[in-house]
Amino acid sequence: MVKVSAPVRWTLRLLAISYVFFLVAWPVGMLFRRTFEGGLENLADALGDEDVVSALVLTAQVAGIAVLINLVFGLTISILLVRYEFPGKRLLSAMIDVPLSVSPVVVGLALVLVYNGRDGWFGKGLEEGGFQVIFATPGLIMATCFVALPLVIREVVPTLTEIGDEQEQAARSLGANAPQTFWRITLPSIKWALVYGVVLSLARSIGEFGAVKVVSNNVSGKTQTATLMVEEKYQNFAQGSAYAIAFLLVMVCIACLVVVAVLRPNDEH
Amino acid sequence: MSIDITGVRKTYGDFVALDDINLTIPKGQLTALLGPSGGGKSTLLRVIAGLETADTGTVTIEGTDATKLPPQKRNVGFVFQHYAVFKHMTVAKNVAFGMEIRKKPKAEIVARVDELLRLVHLSQFSHRLPSQLSGGQRQRMALARALAVEPTVLLLDEPFGALDAKVRKELRDWLRRLHDEVHVTTVFVTHDQEEAMEVADEIVVINEGRVEQVGTPDQLYDEPANDFVMGFLGETTRLNGALVRPHDIHISLSPQLAGASEGVVSRVLRVGFEVRITVLTDDGEEVGVILTRTHARQLGVEEGVRVWVTPVSGATTVPTMAANAG
Repeated sequence: MVKVSAPVRWTLRLLAISYVFFLVAWPVGMLFRRTFEGGLENLADALGDEDVVSALVLTAQVAGIAVLINLVFGLTISILLVRYEFPGKRLLSAMIDVPLSVSPVVVGLALVLVYNGRDGWFGKGLEEGGFQVIFATPGLIMATCFVALPLVIREVVPTLTEIGDEQEQAARSLGANAPQTFWRITLPSIKWALVYGVVLSLARSIGEFGAVKVVSNNVSGKTQTATLMVEEKYQNFAQGSAYAIAFLLVMVCIACLVVVAVLRPNDEH
Repeated sequence: MSIDITGVRKTYGDFVALDDINLTIPKGQLTALLGPSGGGKSTLLRVIAGLETADTGTVTIEGTDATKLPPQKRNVGFVFQHYAVFKHMTVAKNVAFGMEIRKKPKAEIVARVDELLRLVHLSQFSHRLPSQLSGGQRQRMALARALAVEPTVLLLDEPFGALDAKVRKELRDWLRRLHDEVHVTTVFVTHDQEEAMEVADEIVVINEGRVEQVGTPDQLYDEPANDFVMGFLGETTRLNGALVRPHDIHISLSPQLAGASEGVVSRVLRVGFEVRITVLTDDGEEVGVILTRTHARQLGVEEGVRVWVTPVSGATTVPTMAANAG
């Protein structure tokens, strides 16, 4: 490493620390302080509110299902991208990154266009068949899936590439068929990347606001997720509850990040 | 006969990896596929294992047509150059893998793993992870793993290629002894002619996707079918338009033998116990001669001295195309 002089070193450190402090640590700290301003009152109030509880439950459901779907599809697409050659592979790979670069609001709008019950391409037929997508839980799940789609894939693909397919070939030559090879060799080798991807998409799914806002009609107790409720509470001058819910959301995400931090060193194996 | 390969051809785009290979590999022997890198020998081995499929031709293993069989149904053991160890399993688990897939009884697996680990001298490492083993140990473990399924044939793809010279030599001797104990039909790929000649019962020389010659190490060395085989199996030099081994050349300071070429010593290089001499003949050929240190001293060969060179009687010589043209 190139040695830099002490003043430069200190300036750089100060810069980095103050940047993170003013942008992240202080605002989040303020949020915590406000939440507990009147002791546990805000939290107790919020958790006593039926609508708040149902919003939290909905968020958990939507995030859980979205993560599960992304796990299955993410894993399949990753294996497809790394182990097989097919026409359009680069296009597929590029498409997967779209959710990272497109604003979630646009994602929501696009979904509404296709799936709404009045003039959407698929929406009309689905709604006639009694399956409502937009302004209902399926729409929330789809929007969440969309924005969290790349996270599992972008974690798994590099690991899958790095381990190569020699172990899989060895397993085959030892008599294992395709499913046996997958469960016994491939999956254990990419386990940690998969866990990391899942944790990241869970955090992302819980926090999603823009895309969900567009596809939800924001009915308390029905299609209002926790993030949407935070906004509503805040706008209705129920700041105490808003802070309390926000605090809970932050805690879940911090828990996710802690899990990752604990798991990450194991990645070296 | 253990493995029969008929009319196997394999191309990658324009590149012909295997060009109409017909080969029979005898049962119970140690056969080496020898040839330069990119010559197709690894591809042939992978075709036998089912890890690659040939474009045309058939592969028969112990009388069963295996051409269309997937690798897991061929009952072959395969050892990879870079070991392909299962990183997340202990040494014992690695070795047990094939037997667990075959749903063998627990007690039998434990006993067999024990026996195999003893065979490859890794008993004390059974509970370690592969990352805690050296390269040579990993390759021995991979061998035990392949042997555990009692394969009809054992295939090794440049098994010692990634190891350093000393370990390589040890493992080579060890493989030979192991084969004398286990007697499974073994095919291994190598580009190292010394390795092939030391270990193999039979050598198949493969170059540019074709079989150049098949024979015992002695046959190949003493009766090479063409200049490629001659050149690949050892050092050669050109004298009177024929390839001959540098140590098969008689050199003298006076015309003793009929037909000897006259020339001048242009260079003398001593490497350990041997002396490498370059003679520039009057016909314009540069002939390399290898003598022992003692012999060279007795003769008194020095740079600038006039000498006569001729192949010793009984020396292996192969006429070359280039020499005929010249």
